[in-house]
Parts: sequence; structure tokens; C-alpha cells
Amino acid sequence: MVLDIVLTPMALEAKTFNIGDKVRVTVSFKYVVGVNTAIKLFAGPYYTNIFGKHMVDSCVGQTDMSLAAASSPTSGGTTIDFILVPKANGGIDNGTYGLRVWIEGTNALVEQDAIIIVSGNPSGSGLTDMFSAMMPMLMMVMMLGMVAPMMQGMGSEETEETE
Amino acid sequence: MKSKTLALDLGEFVVLQEETIRPMQEPLVAGWYVDPGTGQKIYYDPTTRNFYTMAGGVYIPLGYMNPAPKQVTLAPGDNLRITVSFKYTGPAITGACIRYCVGVYGTFGFTEQMVAIESFNIPQVVSPPSSPNVTNYHTFVIPTNVGTDWDDIYVKMYGGTPSLGSESIPSYIFGYENALVIVGTQPNITQFTITDFAKV
Repeated sequence: MVLDIVLTPMALEAKTFNIGDKVRVTVSFKYVVGVNTAIKLFAGPYYTNIFGKHMVDSCVGQTDMSLAAASSPTSGGTTIDFILVPKANGGIDNGTYGLRVWIEGTNALVEQDAIIIVSGNPSGSGLTDMFSAMMPMLMMVMMLGMVAPMMQGMGSEETEETE
Repeated sequence: MKSKTLALDLGEFVVLQEETIRPMQEPLVAGWYVDPGTGQKIYYDPTTRNFYTMAGGVYIPLGYMNPAPKQVTLAPGDNLRITVSFKYTGPAITGACIRYCVGVYGTFGFTEQMVAIESFNIPQVVSPPSSPNVTNYHTFVIPTNVGTDWDDIYVKMYGGTPSLGSESIPSYIFGYENALVIVGTQPNITQFTITDFAKV
């Protein structure tokens, strides 16, 4: 038996956006449901690190949609908007992100890595980030600098008493 | 675009050996027996010529469930009519009962979720009919809390004067597995895809 299989790419192409842009995601699906039902759809960017995938919560958008009762598979679709909130406002940093869309309360979820390229955050914000990341270490070094002379002083007092 | 070829090797085809199929001998005496294949205790009733197992204090005939010849899709509020018909020859019977059940058939028997009992009479029939001459039915209304696993049905017939048999050990019982496709209150989403995304 010989079976011919043709593979075709289904991936979306990466697009570049600026901070503050509104992104509109269009989705389609088929559904069956016994009664008229309202659903909530969410969409937003996510980043990936060694701990897995993480949504950029401040940029997640949502939309409500009504599904009419249908006992046979019925086509549905809608759009979900989300805004790329600047990093300075607790939003998204410059970089490349994935896009995830899901429907609350169902197992419907679709995502694709590395298709949202974000730019436009002020370059200074990177320096600020680096400084804030180093702050705890700097604090420890400063405290060590203050405590070390005190420890030395205590050590010399004990020596005097012994004598 | 690239074409790939998948070659399947189905191996050798062999003829089923006839000697592996051994007809089961029916016992002659009523009582409990042990299935040598499974070790399961089963009860044989020579009157009905049926084997039964016991679950929850009820004798359940073995092998009364069958693959459904068709599937019916249902949603809350829909009506489901189950129709029973059979050929009958014999005396008139009054007050016979048919129990209609919709539920979940599994390892531990049939979990009844919707039950209805219809009473009916059968006139005297002296010569064997060429086609089913007794028909009965019940219509269920699918409730809003229907489970998507309520996909099995069975009916059993008993009672009457003269009696068609007892309810606990029915002579006439028949069911279909996976006869229903329940469309529940929660949406079932398929083919969920992102078709586009763009700045607006």
C-alpha cells in the first residue's frame, strides 16, 4: 500500500509592532453546544524561558461572544484586540513574543511562538532594568561595608579583655 | 512543498483456524457457574436460557448490550423517542411493562439516568406473524443537566398476566451502546485557529 502525504506549512508569519499599537487577532473555529451560550475569548503575547511560557498579563485582551445552540458542527469566528502596553507602564519589553488565543472554560487554545516582534520602548529602560536587577546585590555590598568595621571593632575589644 | 511517501507493510494474512472456535455448551441446571475464561461467577437460568451476573443486588444478563446501528444527536430540550417492536404469538396479555432507560453502560453495569415504564396489553395471536405485530414507545425530553456520557440505552419487558417474566431476571432485555451523541451545555470547540493578526 502506498500513501502519498503532502505537508504544507500552516504557520503565521512574524510581524513587527511598536509599543502602544493595538493588535487585532482573528480566529475561527467550529462548535456544537446544546443551549445558547456566551463565551469569553482571550488573546495576548507570551514569552518563553527555562520555566516555560508566560503570558504578558498587562497586554492580554478579551472579547465576549454568543454561540447559538447548534447540534451539528457550526462555523464561528471573531476578533480579539489587545494593546502593547509600554514597559514603563508595567507592560511589554522590546523583543520577540509568541501569540496565544484561548476560550475560557474550554480546552480551546491555539498559540504560535515568535511571531510578535515588539520595539519602540525607550532604550534607557534597559539600563534602568539592569540597575534595578543589581540593586539587591549593591545593597548587600553596602551593608557588608558597614558591618565589617563594626565586627573588627568587636574583635579588638574582646582581645583587650582577655589580656 | 515536499511530497513524502509512506509505505505500509501489512505482513502475512492468515486464515482463522476453525478448531479455535469451540461452541459453548449450555448447562442444564439452574445455578452459579464460573466462566473458565475470566473466572467470573455467572448465573444460568434454563427457563430464559440466559446467563446473568449480579451487580447491586440485580441480575444483569450477559451480553445484552449491542453496538448501536445508528447514532442520534441530541441536545437539552430535544425529544428522544425509543420504539420497541417484536413478533408475538400466544395468549392475550394484560398489564405487561416495558422499562426504557437512558444512561451510562460501563464495567459495573448500566447506570440509569433517565427511566420510564410503559404499561401495555397484547391481544391474542394464534398464528406466527410475518412482521412485528406489537409496538410500543416512550418519548424522553432531554434535560438541561444531561451528561455527555449518557449515550447508552436499553429496554426490558416483564410482568403482565400471564407474566412475561420477572423484572429482576427479565427474559426480554436489549440495549445499544453509544446510541446517542449528546450535545451538552458546555460548548465543544474544534478546529480553533488564528487566521490573522494585524495592527489596527
